[in-house]
Amino acid sequence: MLETTRYEARQRVRGTLALAVLLGVFALLVIYLFPTIAESSADIDAFIESLPESFREGFGAETYTTIEGFVAAELYQTVWVLLLGLYMAYAAGGSLADDIESGRLYLVLATPVARKRVGFETFLALCLPIVVLNLTMPLVVFGGTIAIDYPLDPYYLLVVHALSIPYLLVCSGIGMVLSVVLDRGDTAQRSAIAIVFLLFLLDSVTLGTDVEWLGAISPTRYLDPTEVLLHETINLVDSLLLFVVATVLVLLSLVYFQHRDL
Amino acid sequence: MAVIEVQGLTKAYGDILANDHLTFSIERGEIFGYLGPNGAGKSTTIRQLMGFQSPTEGTATIFGHDVRDDAALREAKSRIGFLPGEPAYTPGVTGSEFLEYQAALKGDERRDELLELFTPPLDRQIREYSTGNRQMLGIVQAFMHDPDLLVMDEPTSGLDPLKQEAFHGFLRDERDRGTTIFFSSHILGEVRRVCDRVGIIRDGKLAAVEDVDELLARGGKQVRVHTETPLAEAEFDVDGVVGFASEGREARFTFTGDYNDLFAALADHRIVDIEIDEPPIEEIFMHFYGGEADA
Repeated sequence: MLETTRYEARQRVRGTLALAVLLGVFALLVIYLFPTIAESSADIDAFIESLPESFREGFGAETYTTIEGFVAAELYQTVWVLLLGLYMAYAAGGSLADDIESGRLYLVLATPVARKRVGFETFLALCLPIVVLNLTMPLVVFGGTIAIDYPLDPYYLLVVHALSIPYLLVCSGIGMVLSVVLDRGDTAQRSAIAIVFLLFLLDSVTLGTDVEWLGAISPTRYLDPTEVLLHETINLVDSLLLFVVATVLVLLSLVYFQHRDL
Repeated sequence: MAVIEVQGLTKAYGDILANDHLTFSIERGEIFGYLGPNGAGKSTTIRQLMGFQSPTEGTATIFGHDVRDDAALREAKSRIGFLPGEPAYTPGVTGSEFLEYQAALKGDERRDELLELFTPPLDRQIREYSTGNRQMLGIVQAFMHDPDLLVMDEPTSGLDPLKQEAFHGFLRDERDRGTTIFFSSHILGEVRRVCDRVGIIRDGKLAAVEDVDELLARGGKQVRVHTETPLAEAEFDVDGVVGFASEGREARFTFTGDYNDLFAALADHRIVDIEIDEPPIEEIFMHFYGGEADA
């Protein structure tokens, strides 16, 4: 059981740990800056208010004078939603496509194991970074905010992380689809990054315009850390929707993978 | 029942027919060499047999299971050992880690025994492996679950001559235990040394399926004779002399006739030196390949 997941996940341990350390350090730096900004006499919120709406919404910038608003915008909207989303799309894009391109998959599929199973277990291995980062990051962020004496509400912090999981699964799902459809690993990786980034842009630039509905195809529209941290509102329907989309993407890629020539 | 039964197997890539209505079968306990120049369609057949690619037309069965039926073929796969051409591995894992993974997927009763014969550096990462070591690791994984059928794509490529010899000996022992072996090669000598039968593929079509011993018998003997007075083709009229060529007092020809006739004809001459040998297998295969042999 789960031999392939274990084998593939082991290849991801190093990258995951490096990412955890990197993101942790970045989070602490951002949090460390907060007291200076909160106590400065400059009216930063007036400045934010003057920015174009698409920019504000795209990066979730609403207020920098509360720790919730600051962390949501500086850390979660950018690093978590955009950067980690891109990373997951990239990682998933390379997963099966690299194995197909190199011919590594032949040695696996020659054994009495179903193709779909290998595909699914490879996808499961991508959950390692998702799980590890969502466990370490809230600890680092919560610890950091306590250290600067502006503690975040740990409940809503955990909720942001929990709700980001279906979002990251969608990004991985997009990468997964490209990974089975395209013949080359690096093409799949680059296309996955490009698509997730374009979707993010589409969501941002259409906000407040007549074509706002167009951004509704972007997964970023269904995850709003600022809403959760600052306004303490939780939208479970959006998360459920993301989860359903992720499931559909993975299923589609598995079906395609099952029937394609290798 | 044949272990592998190929029936009209056809694979088209666009307009190109990589396999064109192939039909042949492989019986239990034989070593079948699948021979052809590079690009003839050998790997395409193997990929279809293993279920990696679906046939455009026709099909094949392995142990009675249709290769187009994934679930059925999976049952057969526990009895198949597979070695792809130029086997590829995750570069960051060690040989041991890779074998552990394979063992978890299909078993490894014979791993230790095989590692005495084939010796990849198991503790090193595979990215550091030489071609030969990659090949040996591939051979170990192919045999380690003690399969009844081996499907291998150019199994000796990259092995040094000693390991090649060891591998050929190993294959013969396996065959004697009742294992069926199907492997592709473009090295004629290898096929001659180990195979019981050969299938020759050229431009996607099966040119011939032959018993190796019969093929060699039909190929005749190569004769090189050095006589005291020059031997002229006109005066040397014996049935079965093919390709007569002479230079000075030395004559060469291929002989496929009755040996007594040959010696009777030679008795009229004083012979300084004579060699009678099997022709190189390249010459025998030449007419199947058409033109240049590929080895």
